[in-house]
Amino acid sequence: MLAYIVRRVWQMVPTLFGVMLLLFVLFNWVGGDPSYILAGKNLSAEALAGIRQQLGLDLPLPQQFLIFVRQVLTLDFGTSWSTQQPVSALLHSRIGPSLLLTGSMLLLGTVLAIAIAALVAYRRGSLTDRLVTLIATCAMSVSALVYIIAGQYWLAFKGGWFPIMGWSDSTLDNLLHYLPLPLLLGVIVGLAPDIRFYRSCFVEELGHDYVRTARAKGLSEPVIMLKHVLRNAMIPVVTSLMMSLPYLMMGAMLLETFFGIPGMGKEVVMAVERSDFPVIKAITIYIALATMLFNLLTDIVYKLIDPRVQLH
Amino acid sequence: MNPHALLATVAALVLLPAQAADMNKVLRVALNAPETGFDPAKVSDLYSSTVTENIFDPLVTYDYLARPAKLIPNTVSALPSISADGKVYTFRLKPGIFFAADPAFKGKKRELTAADYAYSIKRHLDPGIHSPWSFLVDGRFVGGNELVKAAGKGALNYDAPLEGIKVLDKYTLQLTLTETNFNFLPILAMPAFGAVAREVIKAHRDNTNAHPVGTGPYLLKEWKPGSRIVLEANPGFRKLVFNATPGSDPLDKAVVQALQGKTLPQVGRIEISVIEEEQPLWLSFLNRQLDISGIPQVALQSALVIDPKNPLKVRLAESYARQGIQLQRQLLPEITFHFFNMQDPVVGGDSKDKIALRRAIAMSFPVSEAIASIRRGQAVPMNYIVPPGVAGHNPAFRGAPKYDPAAANALLDRFGYRVGADGYRTRPDGKPLAIELACGTSSTDKQWNEYWQKTFDTLKIRLGFRQGKWNELSKANHQGKLQMWGMAWGADYPDGENFMQLLYGRNAGDSNAADFKNADYDRLFEASLKLPHGPQRNQLYDAMNKIAVAQQPWIFGDIRMRSTLAHSYVKGLKLHPLLNTSWRYLDLQK
Amino acid sequence: MPHSSPPPAAPHPHNSLTRIGWRRLRRDRVGFAALCIVGAYLLLALAAWSGLVASHWQDEVAHPYAPPTLFAGSAPHHLELDAADIDAADRRAASAAAQDSSGATGLSADEDPLAADLAAAEQQSAQYRSAGQARADSLPLGADQRGRDVLQKLLQGSATSLQVGIAGALLALAIGTVLGALSGYFGGLLDDLLMWGYSVFTSVPDMLLLLAFAAVSGRGIGTVVLVMAFTSWTGTFRLMRAEFLKHKGRDYVRAADAIGAGHGRRMFHHILPNVGHLLLVQFSMLTVALIKYEAILSFLGFGVGVTQVSWGAMLAEAPAELLQGYWWQMLAVTLCMSLLVTAFSLLADSLRDALDPKVK
Repeated sequence: MLAYIVRRVWQMVPTLFGVMLLLFVLFNWVGGDPSYILAGKNLSAEALAGIRQQLGLDLPLPQQFLIFVRQVLTLDFGTSWSTQQPVSALLHSRIGPSLLLTGSMLLLGTVLAIAIAALVAYRRGSLTDRLVTLIATCAMSVSALVYIIAGQYWLAFKGGWFPIMGWSDSTLDNLLHYLPLPLLLGVIVGLAPDIRFYRSCFVEELGHDYVRTARAKGLSEPVIMLKHVLRNAMIPVVTSLMMSLPYLMMGAMLLETFFGIPGMGKEVVMAVERSDFPVIKAITIYIALATMLFNLLTDIVYKLIDPRVQLH
Repeated sequence: MNPHALLATVAALVLLPAQAADMNKVLRVALNAPETGFDPAKVSDLYSSTVTENIFDPLVTYDYLARPAKLIPNTVSALPSISADGKVYTFRLKPGIFFAADPAFKGKKRELTAADYAYSIKRHLDPGIHSPWSFLVDGRFVGGNELVKAAGKGALNYDAPLEGIKVLDKYTLQLTLTETNFNFLPILAMPAFGAVAREVIKAHRDNTNAHPVGTGPYLLKEWKPGSRIVLEANPGFRKLVFNATPGSDPLDKAVVQALQGKTLPQVGRIEISVIEEEQPLWLSFLNRQLDISGIPQVALQSALVIDPKNPLKVRLAESYARQGIQLQRQLLPEITFHFFNMQDPVVGGDSKDKIALRRAIAMSFPVSEAIASIRRGQAVPMNYIVPPGVAGHNPAFRGAPKYDPAAANALLDRFGYRVGADGYRTRPDGKPLAIELACGTSSTDKQWNEYWQKTFDTLKIRLGFRQGKWNELSKANHQGKLQMWGMAWGADYPDGENFMQLLYGRNAGDSNAADFKNADYDRLFEASLKLPHGPQRNQLYDAMNKIAVAQQPWIFGDIRMRSTLAHSYVKGLKLHPLLNTSWRYLDLQK
Repeated sequence: MPHSSPPPAAPHPHNSLTRIGWRRLRRDRVGFAALCIVGAYLLLALAAWSGLVASHWQDEVAHPYAPPTLFAGSAPHHLELDAADIDAADRRAASAAAQDSSGATGLSADEDPLAADLAAAEQQSAQYRSAGQARADSLPLGADQRGRDVLQKLLQGSATSLQVGIAGALLALAIGTVLGALSGYFGGLLDDLLMWGYSVFTSVPDMLLLLAFAAVSGRGIGTVVLVMAFTSWTGTFRLMRAEFLKHKGRDYVRAADAIGAGHGRRMFHHILPNVGHLLLVQFSMLTVALIKYEAILSFLGFGVGVTQVSWGAMLAEAPAELLQGYWWQMLAVTLCMSLLVTAFSLLADSLRDALDPKVK
């Protein structure tokens, strides 16, 4: 196991390097020139050249790349080009709200989805099952945009049950006041595909031989479901959960934009808008690292849950 | 009463800083785009300026109520004395004005001095800072250019003696210009030229944007970049009592009634949110989560009752008027237009066939229809380079050509832009004709693009769109790669020169985005610089406008009417054409 | 001539599986209904794309925001200004100002280099003058801000959205399959290299890739298809890699090797048909995902240009319309898209069930 872990960590290096290369090439090729934004109304050649020099853009490309490498090794990406705020402070303040939103979405959504999916898988083939599946499929077909726009208009504005938007510094205030509506809408958008996916996991599991054996042995259905099927079906569930963890950091961009939540998703869009390379670099590298780490963790957890799995 | 207590009370009343700001009064406003930072020498966008305007004090400012805008002393005891030749300005500061507290002052109260203004102005010349406002001060002060050259690529030597910016004594500043300029004083009223303290800049050298320390009525309490800004009343702010006589505007009476005799600022805390989407912004205002707001284009029809005979005459809709919501309107001192790259081989140049091509396109663009549809009638067509409300505007001049696509088509036929077999026109020499219009990617851009598509379809000219972010397109334009693009220009100071310079040959590659170079125009412009605002200069401006209309480097767009709504409990609000905000003059009576 | 038994033919399992699958699908009522619906949409899309239907969707045939005929009475009443109102106001302002000031009022004929030409053009312009079109007060599904028929936009938009979704899915599938096949089949260094590329691509957030591609190739349908393909190939890659790895060691492939089939032939003539059913399911899932993705892309400003309309472009107008009380375009698009996506999803489910070789 240890050898496996070490080997996997070692394999992360080329991937990280690949990400850095891709990012660097993309930005320098298509990233846009931030000096035009920073120059404001003064577009004289000297002003632009001066800004580029200050940002380090006049250095030869290989040198810029080496600086990039050093930044990744120290995880210090300097200061944002547009606001001159240290990037790490910026991301620090942004991660909290994003994690709160997407974390609670994941938690609530998963619990609900598993409960509903187990129920309908249990009653597989019945009218309830087909109805729920149909509703889930229909619900999935409506764009997230429509849910958010209509939800904000009807529930917050016309209904007055939730504040229209906003975020505060106190976590309690957020949990009680500002989180519920975006959380609700986010869960609704994600619930349907999750229900379908988990249902298919459960159904597949229920088709296995050991279930028939357990029934033949005389075990009751609830016991079969809870003790055997659920645990085995959890493997793909846990896998998909862990695979989606790195994306928690990205935040839910649409929700953050409409509800004024100062999270990572909005930050990425703004950074790309303004060609703010340090922020783009930092976010990409962090997500890349998180993805690789969680992939590794997933495989380890996979191995721990399912002894049949051979790690190679 | 105990005589000691009496003495103490009196002493306290006299010596206490005049802190009348009520911390319970919280003003909530929103910006529709993110700010950048709060160092006046580093930021130029409107959103950052709303904040720097309230933290820093320029030497002079504008009277709140007087229209047209009138300059009044801010931190000086009187407007500066100007020498006979108009080149030497002498400012006398009021003693007893202090910066907000900051650790860089090491616990001592820091008084505002003339040296602070000298330092602040020099920062705009500093090549190491790259101020976006340097074009306003470059070459303006005697000895300035030499000082900048001596700095080379490094920082400016702030302590070297400079003839053009001299500190005569602790409270006296003398500025000597290289040339007479009648717009110099309004420039000094801009928030960019507010006073900063040298120690603070040194202490936070790497991050001046996050540590603004000024002498203004507010200080920065909290900042979440791109999301939220909180300002709180500066406890050390000098005593400023509102004292004005109302003019003829009925609004003046309401303002005077609300504020007369009161110490400013009244509002103790300002919470600014950045809300970019229109729906949440508008709904927040209606829900009383915001106190003041503009009206997004989509809500114009439901919020205003528009008189079809005069679209600019509006009334607030019944349901809103009943809640006591106030409406104020102001024509913005700005222009919007589309320009042709005058150096482009297809659309640029001054030969008659090229002028005809540009004129035909201008004649086919449905400006009025776009105003009716996209702006919901809340704009006026632009007809002169200088907009209404700015010195030098000519309200009788009609510079936009008449909308007549049929005649435009005939005009193109005359100049040999024949329609080919595929239904599209070719150039007179037979080569294919295709024009590319650069544009942004927002949904408003898309609405305008539909009108452009219609324009070019009517003229049977192939149209391509080049979409990109603003900075990409700006760079491409600089490199001469664009053919057509749209632009807007807002007044930096209330004088026509700020607008006429947009077509000045020497500014090509800079603010003259169209790269327009016309010897007659340049000659007239240089002559106009020597004149103050008046009938003589107006004649020159008319002549310049005629050249611009004849040559058609621009297609005139429109000028927006800004509507601002405030809830009934917001008192003292009067929109000012040049001040970005009125926050220090507001009172909340809930 | 001695009669020798022909060599055992390479098995063609896909034929019999296809036939079994088709029979199962026909029996599954829901799946069959879904197939019919999808088919109907495809036919409509084809008709719109070829210009048979809705080719004049851009014509402004109604008043701006004309309501649907059935609900004409309940639509919000807003004042609709037009160019004439603005012009009239401007003329009044000009004449009022001219009375007061002494400045110039415009370019006179002798100052305009084009004066003579304009006068001549004026006389020759009759051929270009056309009478205005009467504008309807209501349409079956209502009109949008420019007065265009929502029904026509819907038909044309379906064609565009389907085109984008299917093209994107096919491209993503092609990339993923080819790379996955190479990776799984050859293994070794090639596999390592491709897996490296895969990890890199999955580690970079979609948004960045999206914006990068958009900046390079401009906007429009082509970019949208490319962007979606380049961010969605990874799932197929992983699947195909596993499958090709699995099938490589199977007997029938070794048999093909024995009769001298080259690598290419083995991969694409033998293995590929055996995994075809998985690809079909992937294709339907991808199409659904990409159709929905296109809506969000259009909302962010990356969608199709002004000369084309798609569901995403129509939805992008929704927030503004809803605020003013105009609900018909958003409802029409939502229902239309919802029906197709639901049908496609149900079809994908049924296909998966029908083609599952494990089910007897």
